[in-house]
Amino acid sequence: MKASDLIGRPVVDSTGRRIGVVTDLRCVQDGPLRGAMAAPRVRDVIVSRRRTGSMLGYDRRDQQGPWLIRLLVRWLHRDLLIVPWEATQLTDGGRALVLTGAQRA
Amino acid sequence: MADGRELDLQLHLLDRQVQDPDHRMICKVDDLELELDATGRPYVTAILSGPRALGPRLGGRLGRWVAAIAGRLATPEESAIPRIDFGQVTEIGSAITVARAAGDLDVAPLEDWLDRHVIARIPGSRHESE
Repeated sequence: MKASDLIGRPVVDSTGRRIGVVTDLRCVQDGPLRGAMAAPRVRDVIVSRRRTGSMLGYDRRDQQGPWLIRLLVRWLHRDLLIVPWEATQLTDGGRALVLTGAQRA
Repeated sequence: MADGRELDLQLHLLDRQVQDPDHRMICKVDDLELELDATGRPYVTAILSGPRALGPRLGGRLGRWVAAIAGRLATPEESAIPRIDFGQVTEIGSAITVARAAGDLDVAPLEDWLDRHVIARIPGSRHESE
C-alpha cells in the first residue's frame, strides 16, 4: 500500500453516503523501530468535507503564523473530521474508506 | 530518536527533499510505502521516488502519462519503483536526511533519469563531453 492509495480517497459512512475525502494521515512515531527511529504509524485519518486543500499545519495548537491566515485556513476547514484509524475500514477492492465509528473528540 | 513525535504524512513528509549526511540532494519524497502492523494500522516502511511514484499522485491523464512513459523507458533492472528504506532516515525536518550518500542508494534523481532516458537519446547530446 502507498500513502497515495489513501490520501485523496473518498470517505463514506456505513450507509454509503459521501462524507468527504482523505486529505492527510496523522501519524505518531511509535511504529516498529527501523534504523535510528521508530516508523511513523497512522493514528488518525484527516477528512475534509470540502477539499479546499491542506491545513498547512494551522490545525495544530502550537502552530505560529499570521493570525489572519490561521483564522482563514481554520474557517475554510471548519468542518474537518479527525477520525481514529480504528474507526475506519478499507472497502474490499473498493475506492472508498468507510467510517465505522465516531471522530476524535 | 524522536520516538512518539506526531507527523502528518502530507504536511511533513511528502514532497520534501531527501538529502545525504553532507546535505547533498538525493531525491524528493514522491510517495510513501506503507505496511499494516499486527493490529491493522499502516506504518511507513520506505520513501518512494521518481516519476513512477509521482505519476499516480498527480492523477488524471497527466499522472497516467508520467507513470506510463517512465515505466516504458525503465530498463529491466529498474522495474521496481526506486525506494529508500525508512531505516535509512536519520532526521525529519524541513528536509529528510538519510544515513547514506546518493551513490550508495538505489535511487536515481529525476535529473539523472532524464539525462539517461531523454537527453542521452538526443543526437549530439554527448558531443561536448565525448
